[in-house]
Amino acid sequence: MATVQFHTLLLVSAILRVVLIVYGEWQDTHMEVRYTDIDYMVFSDAASLMASGKSPFQRSTYRYSPLLAFLLVPNSILHRSWGKFIFSAADLLVGLFIRVILKLRGVPENLSMISVMAWLFNPFTFTIGTRGNCEPIVCALILWVFICLMNGRVFQAAFWYGLVVHFRIYPIIYALPILLILDPHVFRPGQKPSLQRWDHQQESPQSSFKTRLAYLLWPWLIVKSAFTRDRILFSLISGAIFFLFTGIFYQLYGWDFLHESLLYHLTRTDPRHNFSIYFYHIYLQYEHKISVLEKLISFLPQLIVQLVLILSFAQDLPFCCFVQTVAFVAFNKVMTAQYFVWFFCLLPLSLAWSNMKLKWKGLSCIALWVGGQLHWLWWGYMLEFKGRNVFLQLWVAGIIFLFANTYVLVSLINHHRFSPVFTRLEKTFKGAKKLK
Amino acid sequence: METQRRPVGLCNSLLVGLFWVFFSSIGLCICSSPVSSEVGRCDPNSDVSDSSINAFCSSKKYLMQSYYEKYEDLLDSDFQDFIAQELPFGLCKVLPHNLSLALRLSVLHRNLKGNGSHRHLTSSIRLEIEQESILELPSHYCEVIIIERLPSGVFADPFELQHLLQRGVYSNIAVFGDTNLESPSFLSNRSAVEVHMDVGHDLLLSHSEESNINIELPLHARYPPLDESGYWEVNFGTPDYFMRCSVEGKSHNQSCLFRIPDINGSDSTLGTVVWKIPSGMKVHAGIVSVVTFVAALISAILIAVTSIFYSDNSIKHSKES
Repeated sequence: MATVQFHTLLLVSAILRVVLIVYGEWQDTHMEVRYTDIDYMVFSDAASLMASGKSPFQRSTYRYSPLLAFLLVPNSILHRSWGKFIFSAADLLVGLFIRVILKLRGVPENLSMISVMAWLFNPFTFTIGTRGNCEPIVCALILWVFICLMNGRVFQAAFWYGLVVHFRIYPIIYALPILLILDPHVFRPGQKPSLQRWDHQQESPQSSFKTRLAYLLWPWLIVKSAFTRDRILFSLISGAIFFLFTGIFYQLYGWDFLHESLLYHLTRTDPRHNFSIYFYHIYLQYEHKISVLEKLISFLPQLIVQLVLILSFAQDLPFCCFVQTVAFVAFNKVMTAQYFVWFFCLLPLSLAWSNMKLKWKGLSCIALWVGGQLHWLWWGYMLEFKGRNVFLQLWVAGIIFLFANTYVLVSLINHHRFSPVFTRLEKTFKGAKKLK
Repeated sequence: METQRRPVGLCNSLLVGLFWVFFSSIGLCICSSPVSSEVGRCDPNSDVSDSSINAFCSSKKYLMQSYYEKYEDLLDSDFQDFIAQELPFGLCKVLPHNLSLALRLSVLHRNLKGNGSHRHLTSSIRLEIEQESILELPSHYCEVIIIERLPSGVFADPFELQHLLQRGVYSNIAVFGDTNLESPSFLSNRSAVEVHMDVGHDLLLSHSEESNINIELPLHARYPPLDESGYWEVNFGTPDYFMRCSVEGKSHNQSCLFRIPDINGSDSTLGTVVWKIPSGMKVHAGIVSVVTFVAALISAILIAVTSIFYSDNSIKHSKES
């Protein structure tokens, strides 16, 4: 019965996406303002260059892995909407993976369906794939890594993790929590890890924050407990996959690939207006070289938040990755709307453990977050489309949006029921196992 | 558990299968339908049947292409030198030597439409032909070439121009120079847009003595240098107009390219267009840097404290229970 309901949900979502893709084609042809994202044109042009045997990096502003251009080669053979169908299919796959993960963790059916709907019917997410944005593929890969880990398939998880970091750099922030969760008491050779069920009574984080901080700061403690078989293998395999793809594409496309696909993202500072609080500072300083000290200071808040969140929540991997991503996007030097998908795909994985009521705490979070964006967009419109000098107001709107993000993040943390993904397995006597 | 493994197993196989298909095909060269035409590039292998258009498909299709073969950057003085040296070009003696005197061009209006960072530069020009000067002429095909040298701080998007080309708005259009869409003006060089407007066969023998040409170019503002007033003024100069006529029925090198004088003259105020672009103000630098970092630090501390106290509170509650 539940499966029938879920299949209906998936079918309705698929129809919605097909309708939007068809509508998008109509709007592109008949209206001045296009439905399709400008990035999709970039991917398509790069793909058609690749189809002619040329480098996709001949297309200016193509800053992605050549794998993406390869995926979209049928755009020039079959139909220009091929890529949108691929991205929307990945979008639906994310919905399927959310359900699989929640079922594995024993979440009741009604909560599971609500969580899946929070992705499939989120207006932001169903437009992103149909407009031709490739982020759903990254989301699907990340959730697949979670599924592999939950099924004890460490090598497989490492493979796909290496691939997703090659595709998009940002998932590197999940490396530390994944390594932390590869506990030898959880992952035993030849044994599936034991998952903690949703209805299991809450237990605290395994150790206090101070203990975990001590482990991080004392290297010999790290050496003693960190270098386990699974952690070493995960690091080696994912690293090897990442460097393998980097090496192959460097051979094919040379320095252009390295610069556009990798280094650009690591060093990107864009003075043009975007949601980030740093844009105006970058613009005002652009004519001068920013000192190393300034760069370190601007990176400090991001570093502090990432480390504290990892040390606090790593055992509850989906929630940890979710809060890390929200913080990463909020404190980044550049913030555009497409980055929001990175945490929208992880939110449904934590909803079932949230004590937050929609009325009125949930609605206030949504209202503040959306309101903060709309406020920024208003000033952005005045600057870009009316030509008024509102740089200061736009920057203040960015600061307000950062505080809105902070409020939402703090609220989500305070209302979250901490739930480690795995339970430790302990041997009491030979041949028997007891759950701790 | 088994039922849960089946969909996962299927997904597993599907994903691995897809991955290996892509990975093993990655080195294959796939031939496809023709690459979409690039703006500003003449493809000698293009499938064009019209012989008169083939006449233009030579290495000197675009004037600006020849310019950039000789010069690195777009400077007004270099451009004037280039024009003086290169023109008139081709077999202009096939056509009457005083042809350039037979044509007159006047600018009817020229302005910048729209607000904000994305505007349209519109020009309307009238071409007048003094019929008395034209004696016997062979059959010919002409096009007007307009070169708009864009000032620093403004650029044209080549992909947008390609869209116009596909819609048949112009017979050819290309942008040369710095076409980086993202760099601010103080880190970029100038660019120029060359527009070709087909004025048809046997223009010079046509009975109508004048023809109007309307051009609308979509342009975008770069981030300008900082300015105390909060706005940066960008002044557009006057464009340059040329005519290229090709004599049909002979080999495709038989063309004549010459400059059309503007009867309004270079002093005409009709050519002056000003675009005021909002710019950052240096006086903001100090306060913006300080407040940005303080805001980031406050937010980081709030999140960190919440996380730390969340963990510690949870342990206390579990010890008490």
